Amino acid sequence: MNCEVCQLKELEVEHFEIREVLRCILHTIVFHRALGLVRPKDVDLELFEITYVQCGVVELEKKIDEKIEHFVSWVEKHPNKKSQICISFYEVKSKPPSWFSNKTERLFWEQWYVNLNVTQHPKPHSGKSHHTKVVVDPGESASEERGSRRVALEVSLREVMFQIIKFVNEKKDHVPPISEGVIYFPHEITVPSSSDSAFGMDMIKRMLQTGHPTMLS
Amino acid sequence: MEMDRESGKSEQIVSQFRSKILHVILDSRVPSFHHHHQQQESFSLSRVRKTDKWFNLVLGHRPAALENLNFSLRNLLDPVIIDIILVQHGSSSSSVDNICTPSAAAAGFTETVIERWVVQYDCPRVVATPSGADTSGLYKKTYRKSIILLRSVYAQMRLLPAYRIFRQLSSLSQTYNFDLVYKVSSFCHPFTREEEHVMKEYSFVPVEALSGLLCVSVTYRTSLSDFNLEPLVSLPPKIITDYVGSPTTDPMRSFPSSEKGVRATSFPLIGVRPPSSAPLQRPHSWSSGFHRGFPFAQNQSLAGSPPAYSTSPMTYDVASPPSDMYGNRIQNPRLSTLQQVTARDEYQLSPPFSPSPSPSPPTYLSGANPLLSHHRSETAPVTIPRPITGRSSRYLSPNSSDTSRHSLPPLSPRSSKHYASSQESPSGIRSYRKIEALRAGESPSGLSNHYSVHKVVRDSKDDSGRFSGLLSSSGSPRIGFSRSSSRLSFQDDMDDCEFSCPFDVDDVDVSDSLNQTSQNVEGKKASEFTAQAVPVGKKSQDAAVGILVQMLRTAPPLRQDPSCYSTHSIRTEYEGGIGTASGFFMPRKTADALEELKSYREMKDLLVSKSGTQVVRKEEM
Repeated sequence: MNCEVCQLKELEVEHFEIREVLRCILHTIVFHRALGLVRPKDVDLELFEITYVQCGVVELEKKIDEKIEHFVSWVEKHPNKKSQICISFYEVKSKPPSWFSNKTERLFWEQWYVNLNVTQHPKPHSGKSHHTKVVVDPGESASEERGSRRVALEVSLREVMFQIIKFVNEKKDHVPPISEGVIYFPHEITVPSSSDSAFGMDMIKRMLQTGHPTMLS
Repeated sequence: MEMDRESGKSEQIVSQFRSKILHVILDSRVPSFHHHHQQQESFSLSRVRKTDKWFNLVLGHRPAALENLNFSLRNLLDPVIIDIILVQHGSSSSSVDNICTPSAAAAGFTETVIERWVVQYDCPRVVATPSGADTSGLYKKTYRKSIILLRSVYAQMRLLPAYRIFRQLSSLSQTYNFDLVYKVSSFCHPFTREEEHVMKEYSFVPVEALSGLLCVSVTYRTSLSDFNLEPLVSLPPKIITDYVGSPTTDPMRSFPSSEKGVRATSFPLIGVRPPSSAPLQRPHSWSSGFHRGFPFAQNQSLAGSPPAYSTSPMTYDVASPPSDMYGNRIQNPRLSTLQQVTARDEYQLSPPFSPSPSPSPPTYLSGANPLLSHHRSETAPVTIPRPITGRSSRYLSPNSSDTSRHSLPPLSPRSSKHYASSQESPSGIRSYRKIEALRAGESPSGLSNHYSVHKVVRDSKDDSGRFSGLLSSSGSPRIGFSRSSSRLSFQDDMDDCEFSCPFDVDDVDVSDSLNQTSQNVEGKKASEFTAQAVPVGKKSQDAAVGILVQMLRTAPPLRQDPSCYSTHSIRTEYEGGIGTASGFFMPRKTADALEELKSYREMKDLLVSKSGTQVVRKEEM
């Protein structure tokens, strides 16, 4: 089985926008991969005029929020950096036990990479900055700039949503059969850990487990 | 056999998919559909229906209209075309590609297709029949892919521009000048070039089925900014706690005080909660413009944008064979809201109350008449006619039966008690009848000159009956029985009263009674009248006495005999004996009245003596 990979469009977000953006994207992806009986739940973003759909499963919501918080913590320690959040869907296969592996293995059949560029822009009222000699009111220009960024981000986020829908529709054959009583496919969400090297190690570890090369398109 | 089973399941999947996607689209675009769904869901949150299990997507109750549509579109080979139409009230939008049906144009509405969903089961004529092994379990794949497709449609519906206005219309806090309706049919008119320029098409990847491809596509407007979609300005509904009513309402009617000021309105309206938090302050008025506000009553029409147009059948709704065209427009309660709003506006534009047919009786009539009770305690019982509140016209023009019994005009129910209590003094009643008789044609000399007071004396002929004029001359209020403030305020309403006070009798109404009373006056003895004191306030009492005197002077003779001369002579003698005419109309005391009584008694004796029996007595005296 091939592992389909989707690299989503990079989004330039500010720190306070991370949670909303990630929730929107991750829940949309999972919703399309929750083929069990779901009661869809519409959620309106507060920062943008976008409505996304959740599965309505409380456990899933908690899991996603937890991963988002980990990512936010990492971003606070590594500001102004590009980062990725990966959500991978897999199948659990049993295999003969070996020396370095478990009895079960995960067969990843789909991976999504959410690319974020977290920027840290100066706040509107930074009159105390010694680098600038404020002549005209900086607040207005900063707020206008922020507003334009917000609009651009909303457009980009909407594009990402369409991208997800398009990908989901174009790639259906690799989706495994639905198990009885299972609402959504097992998946894991990978966020950068405290160091970049650790993030890279996670990727290598996944490769060893699955035996499939990570295709970066 | 296996093929047949597969084929049957495949067709079932396609059929159910068409129903399901129709449900998804309408639930995400048609507010009334959505509201109905929410209402139904409120009662069955945990229940999963059989229809919900299809494609593992719980959408809730499927309305009957949807079932009808499904039945009409049961031919799987016919495409299902769902048009989402924006109906705009008033002037058309700047967009040139509006679809304006004749009926809608006549009604002043503009319709624009902003989305078109096409669900089609594309079956090629020649279908390569797969082998049995290949077909086994094919329906499972079809079903799985259909689930994903449905998820995509569900998610994408929330990303298209039409979803925003759907949410606006679904909101219960505002009403708008537009509405969303749908049309489901098997064929449609293609878009014009202009329309295609502003629209974008997206086709979902078809799902392979046994006999064909299940295709879903959407053509949608990329932007709705061309349309002037505005919320309607509406006053938040509030309740008037101290509603006064029409201007004809008695202002003295008490109402509960409210420190918070005036609030609300009395409309049905609707559920809509005003967005503003501050209570609406309004004057105590019932101006028609006041109560615009609440548009809808229920049903979701609460939410509503004004109804798009009448629900008269339009071209879409023309019945046609299912195979040709099936147009169905949801009997959108929102569509009928305009009618509802219109009707409601008409209702609201008129005062939400019926003007009181007649003003409420003056407060001074309620309960015991303090003036009357006062006079009872102070003076001998001579009845002064009670003020009458004209609750009905019949009170204004006393009929003969009433006047035969009472010289006073008929009283309002409240005052009837007091009138009844005054039955003991019919002479007072008769005096009033004489007043009416005087007004019928005779002009008492000098009376009008002395009793004419602004607003009181309407014309010279009325003076005799214008006790109010007498009262006013002394400075008392028009009604004049008491000087209480209630009387004063009540005076303002007198103009509206059909019959405001006993002394303010309309000429027209009383003229007939005067003719009748003039006949009844004959044979009555003035002395009986004069034997009674006037039970009114001090000054008004004097004035009443003066009027009585005048009545006597101008009264027709009791008999056609020398007694008439005696009456005249009495009058003359009265005039000469007591004083000038002007003197009678000066404020007089009770003592003066008693003196007059004495003189009248003397006159009476004189008359009797002339009959023969008492002459001897006089001579003896």
